[in-house]
Amino acid sequence: MPAGRPGPAAQSARRPPPPLLPLLLLCVLGAPRAGSGAHTAVISPQDPTLLIGSSLQATCSVHGDPPGTTAEGLYWTLNGRRLPPELSRVLNASTLALALANLNGSRQQSGDNLVCHAHDGSILAGSCLYVGLPPEKPFNISCWSKNMKDLTCRWTPGAHGETFLHTNYSLKYKLRWYGQDNTCEEYHTVGPHSCHIPKDLALFTPYEIWVEATNRLGSARSDVLTLDILDVVTTDPPPDVHVSRVGGLEDQLSVRWVSPPALKDFLFQAKYQIRYRVEDSVDWKVVDDVSNQTSCRLAGLKPGTVYFVQVRCNPFGIYGSKKAGIWSEWSHPTAASTPRSERPGPGGGACEPRGGEPSSGPVRRELKQFLGWLKKHAYCSNLSFRLYDQWRAWMQKSHKTRNQDEGILPSGRRGAARGKGGPGGGSVCGGRKPCPAPSTSESLPWNPFLLLLIGIDLALTVCLACNVAGGRSSSGTTCPS
Amino acid sequence: MSQREGSLEDPQADDSVSLLPHLEAKIRQTHSLARLLTKYAEQLLQEYVQHQGDPFGLPGFSPPRLPVAGLSAPAPGHAGLPLPERLRLDAAALAALPPLLDVVRGHQAELNPRVPRLLRRLEDAARQARALGAAVETVLAALGAAARGPWHEPSAATAAAAAAASAAGVFPAKVLGLRVCGLYSEWVSRTEGDLSQLVPEGPA
Repeated sequence: MPAGRPGPAAQSARRPPPPLLPLLLLCVLGAPRAGSGAHTAVISPQDPTLLIGSSLQATCSVHGDPPGTTAEGLYWTLNGRRLPPELSRVLNASTLALALANLNGSRQQSGDNLVCHAHDGSILAGSCLYVGLPPEKPFNISCWSKNMKDLTCRWTPGAHGETFLHTNYSLKYKLRWYGQDNTCEEYHTVGPHSCHIPKDLALFTPYEIWVEATNRLGSARSDVLTLDILDVVTTDPPPDVHVSRVGGLEDQLSVRWVSPPALKDFLFQAKYQIRYRVEDSVDWKVVDDVSNQTSCRLAGLKPGTVYFVQVRCNPFGIYGSKKAGIWSEWSHPTAASTPRSERPGPGGGACEPRGGEPSSGPVRRELKQFLGWLKKHAYCSNLSFRLYDQWRAWMQKSHKTRNQDEGILPSGRRGAARGKGGPGGGSVCGGRKPCPAPSTSESLPWNPFLLLLIGIDLALTVCLACNVAGGRSSSGTTCPS
Repeated sequence: MSQREGSLEDPQADDSVSLLPHLEAKIRQTHSLARLLTKYAEQLLQEYVQHQGDPFGLPGFSPPRLPVAGLSAPAPGHAGLPLPERLRLDAAALAALPPLLDVVRGHQAELNPRVPRLLRRLEDAARQARALGAAVETVLAALGAAARGPWHEPSAATAAAAAAASAAGVFPAKVLGLRVCGLYSEWVSRTEGDLSQLVPEGPA
């Protein structure tokens, strides 16, 4: 049997049969109907509490009109099922006994219904059995404070959980070195085994918290958890999470949010995490290195794809605390889609540039392949990546607006092509190393030939660096042979 | 008996007697309430037996139908009584039910503390019985057939007696609750039937 302090006596009757009250011929079973000749009976024990696996000896004593009513013909049912006759025996003319062994846990918390019936099936008396286990020691208490104003705690009820009896859980708390025990009053706030303390909590001083479990068979107490409210602070999720496209860039999304307003008056540093997934996937990707910013750009995404994005916050270092806080819940998912790719499909020549445009298909394809290789292997991969993106965006726009100067982006669209916020508006998340912004001016006229020259120059630089470092660049990427 | 009471006695006999529009609306409203509560009472009964365990939910279960303190089931001859008398009995029964439903709720709060829906239904039933009883009283008063004596809830002693009765044991308390829920269902259904004879024919 599981450990637990012994509770009330388990097998004896809990109280003697009640006296008849003048007004109570109305409700107590067995009250005779006037002139009906009906019998009454009393079951002993009334409403006993028993351990699982224990035995029960019960009796049904009949009092009737006419007197001398026999116990012959009486029978027992338990939860509506007739018990085998061999479990019963007639003790005397008016008493039928019952012996039950190895009792199972109660089927319902209101008690198992043991009923004594007359030979015609009518109910003479009833008693409710409570068969179960004493509570196990609650464990795994965890607590958190929302914005340092309250405390919510959750616990696990015990190693085996089910006691088959109604078990009452009480969360207690007190200041560690002084003060009286207090009892939490708002239960089931975040699940069946939880409690919320809404106010009157002290900071900078530890609390002792524990849970007491009690049922008809005994009680148990958890270990004491000691904590300072400041060390378990969490916040609401960041509000106003917005996810939007980055101009026409088909593999990026911009995420912006607001820091939780409730903590704005307190000194703390907030860390954020972002997670995102494709619409029909269950696998989240987590971006950890967001630090204290309130915006981020996700890169390397699939074009024409719907993504769900969530953000959460961790306040740490509150009032000088050395410990991290507790991560908030994730914000509600925000969905956005990356633009569809407008590049021609494999083998398609539908988007070949018109005649007169320098460097038609083959050069562009080779340049694209070269830049793709740079993206994969070079140290400052995002430098060429950015150039490549800008070039692609420019190409897409130039296909749409044939009358524009192909070498210079219109000023109004230049910002859109780069994405919101510009180069300094938020870190590029998704695992890419940030690089210094290119020193080239915003109005540099891009054309494919110039791009090719820059690419060749970069490749030469990489190879030179590899030769100096003995075959590996300083980033650890492998140099091409 | 006044012309109004005459129409209450036999509302179908004199088509020329038309009830005032607001009274007609009140009757319709009260009848609709009774019809709604009839459905709720059936749901309460089903939920109640579900949580007491077998044999309470079994088809053949038949504990002794002993009268409850201060309240009895509609008599077999109820339908043969004059309509005002029937409505007075309906109102009296609906006034007697709330304290008994409160007692049952108190028992179930100990026996089934993890079934808040049952507890809420019992609490709602007490409130709804009170409201329907008051509405029936209003209709009776408007028709000049008010209940005899001041309308009042049963004495606290009656409720205390019922509570003490169930202190005799858990099983008797379960049976008491079944009986009270059954009486509630019977009386709201009876009230709905009686009011239907007052509802003027035709659309509201």
